[in-house]
Amino acid sequence: MKEFNLVLAGVGGQGVLLAAEILGTAAVKEGLNVRVGEIHGMAQRGGAAVSTVRIGEKVFSPFVLNGQANFILGFEPLETLRNIKYASEKTLVIMGDEKIPPPELTLKNMDYPQMKEILKKIKRFSKNITLVETSRLAKEAGSILTQNVVLLGAAASTGKLPISNKSLIEALKELIPAQHIKMNLKAFELGYNYVKN
Amino acid sequence: MPNPHVLLQDEHGKRVLLLGNEAIARGILEAGIGVVTTYPGTPASEIGDSISAIASEAGVYMEYSVNEIVAVEVAAGAANCGVRGLTAMKHVGLNVAADALMTLAYVGVRGGYVVVTADDPECYSSQNEQDNRFYALLSNLPCLEPSNPQEAKDMTISAVEISEKLELPVMLRTTTRVSHTRGPVVYGKITKPRLKGSFIKDVERLVMVPANSRPKHDVLLRAVEKAKEISEKSPYNKIISKGKNKEYGLISSSSAYNYAVEAAELLGLTVDILKLGMTHPLPEKLIGQFLKEHKKVVVVEELEPYLEMQVKTIAKDYAPTTEVYGKMRQPHFPRSGELSTRAVLIGLADITGRKLPINFQEIDARYVEVVTGLPSRPPVLCAGCPHRASFYVMRKVAGEKAVYSTDIGCYTLGIEPPLNIGDIMICMGASIGMAQGISKTTETNTIAVIGDSTFFHSGIPRLVNAVYNNHRIVVAVLDNLTTAMTGHQPHPGTGVTGMQTVSERIAIEKVAEGCGVKWVRTVNPFNIKEAEETLKEALRYSGTSLIIFRAPCALMVVRERRRKGLGVATYRITEKCTNCMACIKMLGCPAITLEKGKVNIHENLCTGCGLCASVCPYKAIEPSATD
Repeated sequence: MKEFNLVLAGVGGQGVLLAAEILGTAAVKEGLNVRVGEIHGMAQRGGAAVSTVRIGEKVFSPFVLNGQANFILGFEPLETLRNIKYASEKTLVIMGDEKIPPPELTLKNMDYPQMKEILKKIKRFSKNITLVETSRLAKEAGSILTQNVVLLGAAASTGKLPISNKSLIEALKELIPAQHIKMNLKAFELGYNYVKN
Repeated sequence: MPNPHVLLQDEHGKRVLLLGNEAIARGILEAGIGVVTTYPGTPASEIGDSISAIASEAGVYMEYSVNEIVAVEVAAGAANCGVRGLTAMKHVGLNVAADALMTLAYVGVRGGYVVVTADDPECYSSQNEQDNRFYALLSNLPCLEPSNPQEAKDMTISAVEISEKLELPVMLRTTTRVSHTRGPVVYGKITKPRLKGSFIKDVERLVMVPANSRPKHDVLLRAVEKAKEISEKSPYNKIISKGKNKEYGLISSSSAYNYAVEAAELLGLTVDILKLGMTHPLPEKLIGQFLKEHKKVVVVEELEPYLEMQVKTIAKDYAPTTEVYGKMRQPHFPRSGELSTRAVLIGLADITGRKLPINFQEIDARYVEVVTGLPSRPPVLCAGCPHRASFYVMRKVAGEKAVYSTDIGCYTLGIEPPLNIGDIMICMGASIGMAQGISKTTETNTIAVIGDSTFFHSGIPRLVNAVYNNHRIVVAVLDNLTTAMTGHQPHPGTGVTGMQTVSERIAIEKVAEGCGVKWVRTVNPFNIKEAEETLKEALRYSGTSLIIFRAPCALMVVRERRRKGLGVATYRITEKCTNCMACIKMLGCPAITLEKGKVNIHENLCTGCGLCASVCPYKAIEPSATD
């Protein structure tokens, strides 16, 4: 298999690291070589959060080079844009819609940028962009905290992950506390069907 | 987070995705280490946390020691009774522990003992980016450097073996990128730890008075020679041969090796790479031979030219005509910040005259165009964080003029606007120390801001100094009842131990009184009026006063409510709001946002602390009806 690179970008607290770990665990289940990169920052919540998943025999480091991502999973529009340098015209960008205004914006009495503007800028890197109503779907599944799994479902539905749905679901069941599994399976399905249909 | 019990599975050959730090924890179990000590610090924390979660089941003794030097001393005591030990800390923790470690190198150990230092290039979560490999040179202790989770596990076991062979502590040095990268790890067999040993009295060996230290220094130097033989034959120091091109050869270690391999591949350079896993002492003969066989050798390493300096020294004896490239004479790679595949790619392309496979310039230019003006999202105090209330009170009472000497913890984030609390900060505990010099030499009110865990770590001797020398400072202990920033580890004020057993809490109030502080008060920072009055009184006090702002970390509060099946009682803006923005300008809470120019509370972010409702001049914020 050729090298596969995925970048996950969002805000601390949105479940970016867990989503990356689910992908990595699923890759190991498939017998693949994988590196998952993450940064545990200064803050527990609210800072920018980026994680990378790289799969392939010749993968040694977790770093994705500019323009080399196969997928970008954006948990938050501004953070998706902040990491758009990893995209090329071939990259699939799947983006959630929960806007979290950075405190800097609020302090400067500025509104969150228009979605139209954000999309226009993202399209200078890749036009393959799918917007997912993650907040609505996550709440429908039972909690806003499941939006990471909604996005995983959305990514899986493209059929372009080098990982089977079966392994993804198994990994999810291993990593999510027992009492939340049902809710997360629903989130996965909602994300999957949202893009599929 | 993964279930820590995955680490306990005794399935030889099983392949599992582990974080570098979790892999070290697995290595602890496979090596049969009996005593694990730590003080939490990013990027080392998950080593101790993983062991703490399973310690009693695994039969390991684990403790969160009060600080790093105590952690080393406890484990060194055990290791001198023949029990295997490991101490994990972040790089700057080794500065704290260095006093013990430097002379422990003379005394040595009987049971294998490993000191894990997790360095933080790029200062992701640290005050500096020192390169702790120099501690190996300074102390003469052997050092292993893993480049991925599998090696992190394997080298933990090897470090214990080398330690026992040489009767010396061994350093295991990781970096953020190694500690916090996940990769597949193949399990070996778990070894049942031995927890009991015996203390054999031997004054000449164990008591470092000058008469004993002098000969022990020579013993240490002889051990380094033996370590060098181990290094020459170590499977971790190996040449990965890529073909006939002997013009160039690369020497690398740690995560820099990963970048070197990938960059060489991308440039189409089929060159030999000497990968060094044991980086102190270096395998002189192996490196000498490698230098002889290649005309040009490129040293690829992160931070300081630690390898390059030594490689150049070896080159002088073995291959004086071989060119050595790196970051010393001509800087081909950066000496500061985290190294990356990109930086190595650019450096190697420059040295070898090859064309870059990626047009970074074009992508960067386009990227700059789309992100110019994009608001940054630096780390912030969480919504509901009690420190925000404490800082609001300080700002209101002591104002802009007071000097705030701050410390290491979540509360360092008080420097962000609009709170702007934090004027000087260097290391753990220094808030109280520096405040004394500032107070002595200025007429301004001086407030030392320190967290609960940091207070126990190293605040106490500084407090004694302040009281005894009659320094007029206010010590503000921001007590959120946990070690929050590193992931909620216990400390002596919490009543819980690393073994997850209950212990009697040590009250900060009583410690302060015991240190001689005559003026000690405790307030709840969310009780704003009382907190303000108390701080005013503290500022009027003529000597050292200590005020504890105590309220639990918001994340613990939310987690607890969720566990109990209770929702989070959020707040909302009512029609009384005049959009005066006072809440935004005074608090900077990430849950208070603007929606089309109107103040709004983000329902997914609010944790219901109610601070904004307390400060709103129009009483226009109230609890949401139901949840």
